[in-house]
Amino acid sequence: MTGNSAADGLEASRISIRAGNTVLIDGVDCTIPSGTVSALIGPNGAGKSTLLRTLAAVQQPATGTVAFDGTDLFAMPRRERARLVAFVEQDATTDTAMTVTSVVGLGRLPHQSLFRDDTGDSATIVAAALHTVEMSGFADREFASLSGGERQRVMLARALAQQPTLLLLDEPTNHLDIGAQLEVLGLLGRLAANGTTVLAALHDLGLAASYSDHVIVLRAGTVVAAGRTAETLTPELIREVYGVHATVLHNPTTGRPVIALSPL
Amino acid sequence: MARRLPLAVAAPVLGAALVASIVVAVTIGPADIRFDEVWASIASHLGFGVSPLPLLRDGIVWELRLPRVLTAAAVGAGLAIAGAVMQAITRNPLADPYLLGLSSGASLGAVAVLLLGAAVLLPLAAFLGAMVALGLTLLLASSLGAITPSRTVLAGLAVSALASAITSLVIFWTVTGDSYREILGWLLGSLAGARWPAVTIVVIAIVIAGIPIMLTGRLLDAFAFGDVSAASLGVNVSATRWALLAASALLTGAMVSVSGSIGFVGLILPHAVRLIAGPAHRALLPLAALVGAIFLVWADTVARTAFEPRELPVGIVTAIIGAPIFALLLSRRRRLT
Repeated sequence: MTGNSAADGLEASRISIRAGNTVLIDGVDCTIPSGTVSALIGPNGAGKSTLLRTLAAVQQPATGTVAFDGTDLFAMPRRERARLVAFVEQDATTDTAMTVTSVVGLGRLPHQSLFRDDTGDSATIVAAALHTVEMSGFADREFASLSGGERQRVMLARALAQQPTLLLLDEPTNHLDIGAQLEVLGLLGRLAANGTTVLAALHDLGLAASYSDHVIVLRAGTVVAAGRTAETLTPELIREVYGVHATVLHNPTTGRPVIALSPL
Repeated sequence: MARRLPLAVAAPVLGAALVASIVVAVTIGPADIRFDEVWASIASHLGFGVSPLPLLRDGIVWELRLPRVLTAAAVGAGLAIAGAVMQAITRNPLADPYLLGLSSGASLGAVAVLLLGAAVLLPLAAFLGAMVALGLTLLLASSLGAITPSRTVLAGLAVSALASAITSLVIFWTVTGDSYREILGWLLGSLAGARWPAVTIVVIAIVIAGIPIMLTGRLLDAFAFGDVSAASLGVNVSATRWALLAASALLTGAMVSVSGSIGFVGLILPHAVRLIAGPAHRALLPLAALVGAIFLVWADTVARTAFEPRELPVGIVTAIIGAPIFALLLSRRRRLT
């Protein structure tokens, strides 16, 4: 690595993803600056989840490269990559009777090998991750017995246990009530302030506006706009992409944009 | 939930129970043989002193019962490991070691050589039959597009059905009298013919496939949330899946080649062990192997003694015990993996 600031953060170029003959993502370029929260937004079916899986390097694209701080993610050894990048899927489920603690403990796998125990203090890291997402009281519960929102937090804790530098999340506020949504997004902000690069796919424009530093707007597999949230989320763009009327205000407390929506 | 038995406690206890089961099972049978006679015979054959037993009794221990009991233990262990692995990598709680056409392929191979009158080739033919069936299953699955667990299972079903049909056809046209009994015994799963060559085959399979599988417990845990999740944890999903599938197939093929297809061991025991040890594979795999070994040692002891002097195929015993347990597990609506 050269320490060149131009290479800082997540850089994807010319990403195309196909399923059979259908082009899901068509030549996408995007940059996620280090230590920020970025939101990937766009209407249903725009390809947010698909793009996110490739940015997390769990799905190989048909063409294109994904690099973090100048290093090609697909060329990295898998376990090394999993210590760098964590991915929280949407609606994770399991048929197993695993406890919350053992699910979060899976996040330590990249730090272990078949024959060598954890490089860190696994139990402490797992407990701290559960504490961070306020799920300490659920440590011995069976994961499958939790509510959707509780599962979402446990999967976030699993990602935190990986101690990643880059954290990607697919709809992390799904199933959460509004208070919990704000808590999770607040937590992502604190992680970013501590140097983690965060990218979350969000379908709620209002949350994206209030909590992200940058946005990438996706429609039908292509990026239609990207940049600083306050400058990018204009009424014209929202109208063009979502087909709704938007008024963008400024929250006097946070200084961030607030979006009021109405039908055209 | 949290009352799970730790591996450090369960493994030594079950290990001791397995050794005790093997020794006790050798004493049971039409000829009464005492514990000390069993030890003395084993010791003498391992080079410690001369057996005090008359040649006939020594032969019963060393040539008949001990190899059979050891084969039962290894087959039980192998089937339980293969079952646990199949359930994990296909994320299907109803998966068993015979899933991918393995047992029907083996049966076809076995029936073919029995009818050709080449019974000595039976283990080899059964093993080849299992591997050919596995190959066809994977070929069929890949012709459907990307090889996914559900496609693999469905392809296995198709190959199984075809191999069973051919087996039935062959039996229907050619089998008479004695050979019918022999074939039926084999199809139902039987350890009656197990001698030292069988022990050698199954022990080699355990060493080259079973033990490596047991070391991959952490990787299997990573599959609990599916492929994407496993990949995000740094697991090479397809390489891991195929390596485990191949090792399980090898293990199962070797077991089937000496014992026919003994049902329910690989299906039920992993579930039963999960209830006491929890779902983590690092504990589950070795404990399932031990419980599988103990279970099959006793099931086979019942099979050869319950209706003396006639013998039951052990597959009937495992099915009679296994099917109700399976029903019980289902009715408790426990999460089965």
